[in-house]
Amino acid sequence: MMKIDATVRRESIYVAGWIVLLSVLMQAVFIIIGKWDYTVLCGNLLGGAASFANFLLLGITVQKAVAMEEKQAANAMKLSQTLRLLMIFIAAVLGAVLECFNIWATIIPIFFVRIAIAFRPLFGKKDSENKPDSEDKSDS
Amino acid sequence: MLEIAIGIILGCCALGAGVAMIAGIGPGIGEGNAVAKACEAIGRQPECKGPVTTTMLMGCAVAETTGLYALVIAILLIFVAPNMLVNILIKTIG
Repeated sequence: MMKIDATVRRESIYVAGWIVLLSVLMQAVFIIIGKWDYTVLCGNLLGGAASFANFLLLGITVQKAVAMEEKQAANAMKLSQTLRLLMIFIAAVLGAVLECFNIWATIIPIFFVRIAIAFRPLFGKKDSENKPDSEDKSDS
Repeated sequence: MLEIAIGIILGCCALGAGVAMIAGIGPGIGEGNAVAKACEAIGRQPECKGPVTTTMLMGCAVAETTGLYALVIAILLIFVAPNMLVNILIKTIG
């Protein structure tokens, strides 16, 4: 099994935390507006899982790509982006077609990663101050 | 006449979804270029691998959002818009 890089793991955990937090918030909004049922929960799980899988696969691809030649890395990223977009498409189509998923609850979590990254500078400063030291220690 | 109008609505929705997905091409090319430049940077300064990977990962995720917006628009145009527009048409005609 492939070992996941410390940087990728850290960022994935950060994104997963935000996905969980925003999912809870979204469920609360659905409850408040009186439109909550089990389809919202199922849709949220599907959308959130697809979103997290997309980010994790992006991280793994980036981790692999930095060890490649420039042209090979660019091609690997293009291929990965196409396949990940296809994965998100399949998840969203399942959310739209199957009755057990709410389409909005499936689609909204796809953008949670973007929200997590938008808030990254608030938490990133402390991390970036510690990052080089911790990596140097782990390398040595 | 109603069938023609419904046909036009469905056709336009499908066409719109196809056009929206053109935006899915850009992020792939952009991410590819970003990673190629990051490889170059890491090759020049291998000690910066951690910070470069973090920045690139975040940059790639942001770049990819554009493609996701397009994907969502396309999915809504295929699965949600036709029903909604046909219902509006039928209500209007009576």
